[in-house]
Amino acid sequence: MPIKLMAASRKRPGLTRAEYQRYIEFYHGTIARQERFKIDSYVQNHVIDGAWGLLSDADHENKVVDRDAVVEISFKNFRDMMETLEPAVPSAASQDGKFFANESTNIIVMAEEEEIPVPTPLTTFNPGLGIVKGVGALKVLQYIMRDEEVYPEDYKKSWRMAHEEAVEKAPYYKEQARRVQANWRCRANDNDGAARKHFKMIDPPTYDLVVAHWFDTMEQVGAFRQYVEAMQNATGPKFANWSKSFFLYTKQIVVVRDTPLS
Amino acid sequence: MSTPETKQYTYKDWYPTTSAKAQQPDLSPEEKARPFAKYFYEEIPQPDPAHYAMMEKPCDPSKALHPSRMNDLLNPGYLDVEIGWCNLPDGAGFIANKIVYPGVTAEMVDWWFAWHPLEDLRYRIWYPPQHGGIHLSPEGRKRILDESIPMSERNWGVVHHVTENCDCGMENITISFYSPKDYGFDMTRFKQPYVSTFAGGQGWAVTVDKNDESITAPAMMCHIFRDTPEGLEHRTRFWLGYRLSNGVPECTLPPGVAVPSVAVQGLARHNVKEFTRFKHFLPRIYAEFGGKMLA
Repeated sequence: MPIKLMAASRKRPGLTRAEYQRYIEFYHGTIARQERFKIDSYVQNHVIDGAWGLLSDADHENKVVDRDAVVEISFKNFRDMMETLEPAVPSAASQDGKFFANESTNIIVMAEEEEIPVPTPLTTFNPGLGIVKGVGALKVLQYIMRDEEVYPEDYKKSWRMAHEEAVEKAPYYKEQARRVQANWRCRANDNDGAARKHFKMIDPPTYDLVVAHWFDTMEQVGAFRQYVEAMQNATGPKFANWSKSFFLYTKQIVVVRDTPLS
Repeated sequence: MSTPETKQYTYKDWYPTTSAKAQQPDLSPEEKARPFAKYFYEEIPQPDPAHYAMMEKPCDPSKALHPSRMNDLLNPGYLDVEIGWCNLPDGAGFIANKIVYPGVTAEMVDWWFAWHPLEDLRYRIWYPPQHGGIHLSPEGRKRILDESIPMSERNWGVVHHVTENCDCGMENITISFYSPKDYGFDMTRFKQPYVSTFAGGQGWAVTVDKNDESITAPAMMCHIFRDTPEGLEHRTRFWLGYRLSNGVPECTLPPGVAVPSVAVQGLARHNVKEFTRFKHFLPRIYAEFGGKMLA
């Protein structure tokens, strides 16, 4: 079962977002291709916009509320991930972070993927041959913090109920979401010493779930707004701390992926 | 109306209680008044010395059952190692144990695994020297108390939050129980006479005194039972360092790292002790409370 590291970072002082995104795509990304180790796939999600917390919050509850990219590094298994994070000789990738990221504020989630079926995986606007489904140029990454009173196993169940309710209550989303992927935090993440060392974060917040939603283009982003508001108002048991949750609108950049033909 | 079986902590409130549970305090007045409190004060039977001695030294790893071959447990007869422990070549820990329970049935086992997680005392009476406490989430409790679900299926998908000493100090262990299908068993062979019932799942254990450096250790747990002329035969397997990843066992140890042998042997010895106790008290407690969830 593949395991994935998701690292949400923000730019170091003095860089614009454009400079940061140029660096991670063309420099850091190239280093990852040159020193692939056991990386199965490596995707960068460049942040376009996003929001933290709720309109009703007087102030932000997170210490740091800026993110400029989320990188997703996938491995075939846990051992491959550890060999890549802790090579015999420190990797250039781990030394490169300081040139673009504010490393101490990185947020890491070690996750296992679950595909969540969507009603309309194929666009109706210029679908071409109609044989390519589940793709989109806009990817929304939704970090949902578990309410601290809720047991992790109940959180999972409650999210599913809230998601299903929100899909029904958000018809525009139901029509426009092309793909949804739940990334569940793995308990192996409890032993994140190697990840902390590699990404150099200090006292990071813990997120048990990151949901990725794909839409055709930025023009459909209102569909996500409709969905997230329906989810925050779902009628089931409380499961999330929305004040500490956030979402990011991103453009996906594939750095390493050996795409299978089928 | 609130009863001891329905007493519910939030996750935030439950977690800090485990430090006190780890101290194994005497029973509260409320607990002493429970109809099964007498079992807490019983003399605990000691394991058969010959059986316990089989956990003294590691067995031959080449004869150990790899988790990917768990379906061999459905074969007639016995495997190379039925009682023993060792480290596997990939560093994981392996434990096997076998005990026969005269007078015990699969129904009793199913009832016990559903009945005991409802309150600390139920878990503590199982093996007072090393059991600190147990708790369920609200959804887990709801399922366990759902009379429409067969007793043998009550635990499927339920997580037991256990505080227990497996001979290496008190740990908080979350045990996610699986159906045999989700655990990876071949359901075409999962029937009599190969198997009578099953209780197993995925555990994650971390010391009660955890800090940022503490290791949270995964393990796969398998208790499989079958009928024999001598009584219900209980075969245990643990694979420490393995986790179930979408139904497939995967070693979750960094390369070159092995589960400490003291932890493997500790759990092996603990298993012999707690199930020796189980053998002696399950028929008696079932006769008093069996079949029902409230007491």
